[in-house]
Amino acid sequence: MSLIDVESVPRRTMTLFFLADTSGSMSGNKIGALNDAITNIMPMISEISNTNPDAEIKVAALQFSSGTSWLYDEPKSASDFIWQDQSAGGLTSLGEACIQLEKVLHRDGFMKSASGSYAPVVILLSDGGATDDYDKGIEKLKLNNWFKAAIKIAIAIGDDCDKDELKKFTGNLEAVIEVHNIEALKQIIRIVAVTSSQIGSKSTSATDATKQDQVVEEIKNQIDNVDGANTAADPSQATDDYWD
Amino acid sequence: MDLKKGQIVHLTTGGMTCTVIEELGRGGQGTVYKVDLGGKKMALKWYHIPPDEKFYKNLQKNVDAGAPSDAFIWPEFLTVRENGSYGYVMKLRPSGYYEFGQYLLARHQMKSLSAIFAAAMKICNGFKLLHRYGYSYQDLNDGNFFIRPDDGDVLICDNDNVYPQGEKSGIMGKARYMAPEIVAGGIPDKYSDRYSLTVLLFMLIYLNHPLEGARVAACPCMTEGNEKKFYGSEALFIYDRQNNTNLPVRGVHTNVIRRWPAFPKLLRETFMDQLSQEKLKNPTTRMVESMWENVIAKVRDTLVICPKCRQETFVEGSQTTGKCIECGAQFDITRRLVMGDRSMVLTPGTCLFIDMDNKPDIKVQTSSSGEMMLQNVSTSSWNVETPSGKIRQVNVNDCLPTRPGLKISFGTSIEGAPNAKAEVK
Ligand SMILES: Nc1ncnc2c1ncn2[C@@H]1O[C@H](COP(=O)(O)OP(=O)(O)OP(=O)(O)O)[C@@H](O)[C@H]1O
Ligand SMILES: [Mg+2]
Ligand SMILES: [Zn+2]
Repeated sequence: MSLIDVESVPRRTMTLFFLADTSGSMSGNKIGALNDAITNIMPMISEISNTNPDAEIKVAALQFSSGTSWLYDEPKSASDFIWQDQSAGGLTSLGEACIQLEKVLHRDGFMKSASGSYAPVVILLSDGGATDDYDKGIEKLKLNNWFKAAIKIAIAIGDDCDKDELKKFTGNLEAVIEVHNIEALKQIIRIVAVTSSQIGSKSTSATDATKQDQVVEEIKNQIDNVDGANTAADPSQATDDYWD
Repeated sequence: MDLKKGQIVHLTTGGMTCTVIEELGRGGQGTVYKVDLGGKKMALKWYHIPPDEKFYKNLQKNVDAGAPSDAFIWPEFLTVRENGSYGYVMKLRPSGYYEFGQYLLARHQMKSLSAIFAAAMKICNGFKLLHRYGYSYQDLNDGNFFIRPDDGDVLICDNDNVYPQGEKSGIMGKARYMAPEIVAGGIPDKYSDRYSLTVLLFMLIYLNHPLEGARVAACPCMTEGNEKKFYGSEALFIYDRQNNTNLPVRGVHTNVIRRWPAFPKLLRETFMDQLSQEKLKNPTTRMVESMWENVIAKVRDTLVICPKCRQETFVEGSQTTGKCIECGAQFDITRRLVMGDRSMVLTPGTCLFIDMDNKPDIKVQTSSSGEMMLQNVSTSSWNVETPSGKIRQVNVNDCLPTRPGLKISFGTSIEGAPNAKAEVK
């Protein structure tokens, strides 16, 4: 092999987790919009990953209702990941979802990339409140070092959401984004996923703000153009729910 | 507010306008449109959210001052504030250039070693002139460079954060490219530019980040805290002279492991100096760009065509026999063209670069009798003095033999090196 021939520089892996609520209350338009949005953003995430010399993006997804299940038993590269449409039904085992996420956030779990990882991004989507022991789950998850370092964003679908639970998950209300209609849900899923996938490969204007804060700041800038979306820290901007 | 096809945008220069043709792409801060400006196709960057007054004034100043060199896709016109924002007009990026990251990902590959060093030279030259104009770039990273693989020509984009040295643009830079003192919270300036430049040159030449070796690879999760450590407070060059705990790892850092020993010692020494703990910690002691240009010129003086396999190879300049890095053949490298402290190795087919403009000035040919000849491929004639004192003129495209003792006066034939003189040894 000639010295002019080279291989790609080693890249760290950044795993993008979707934790999707598929409980009964999500049925109808909500689950339809969620299925549609995640399917549509995959090519964008794949493009970001393919042109990014800093990080390769992988995707993992957990659905939770009466029970929980991973779509695949390992993170898939964004170009290989295929979202399977989910149907809605059952309870909201958010506590169990936390336990399952904690289980894979280890080097011998989902975080076993040979060239190392960046802290993951976790996007939680839910429209209700946990029906199981949430506190037990979230307390355990919060002790996990990967989770501590992760960028955590929650998308609160509609007014019935328990924002305190989501705040416990993300660490602050700024990172809880409320959506109040189908279009807003779709747009926010795109904005949150794209923005958090790009954050490590962009120039920053601050070295003291955490990456999560930087992502939230960018989302805030874009949220103004989305009808029916606001951060939970700014409820005065909230519009009425409309899901038909 | 987005602009529409056919929309007319007003410029600050003498009532001029441009007309939007189509959208070219969307970035974090703005959208870039193709526009028509008096019949010429240009690019207009239009900000999503208009940056503040200081930014606007700075852009106008940069427009007035003009580009430091043709390497920069520079703001050429500023728009007036209208439609809720503003923007600036620059040249369209020509086709055939690819983002630096595409090379890092091996999606594109430089066509030759001389193209790699031409790119290195052009980048150094651009930043030398930029700093000489009194600017600092502040946000040097892999996203700002577009390179043509055939000849290594470089275009430097995203010049809207260029500020006078010492003034704060508000941008800190991109992780992995920011100098340790910026990671620690400092303000970017020309000294931190020089660190970022060294990182980029290293990545261009060796395709590996200079701080990413065993120590960094062993870190399972690059958290924000770890980033501050590995690229800031505890930054350690992979080939640090005193500390070998961060050496590249076989099977992971493949490119640099192959190229580091095969490329010239002068390069190794320069990177070991520039990325030593002392230089990492003392920004003002970092080497200026013109010194980098000299290093690259000298490296290029030892980049020759192998007489056996006809591929490019480096030879160690001080020796009399070269060994091809591609085919292993040994060949004579005693014949030189010497210019000051530079010693250019002569083998048939090799191009010599006297100044820094990446245009060959001399081509080494072989005469019908098999003698090595120097062909004048510069822009005008040279005067050549024989050891006995006779003067001969060598016109463009003509050749002179490589006889020891011949002295060449280049006169005005080489733009970047007026009145340069060299001797065949
Ligand atoms: N001079 C140009 N000619 C042609 N296309 C350009 C030119 N400048 C930028 N573009 C294209 O326009 C798009 C947006 O460019 P821009 O530099 O604003 O975006 P970016 O680098 O992605 O983001 P940011 O605004 O955060 O720097 C990019 O896809 C780029 O390829
Ligand atoms: Mg840009
Ligand atoms: Zn050879």
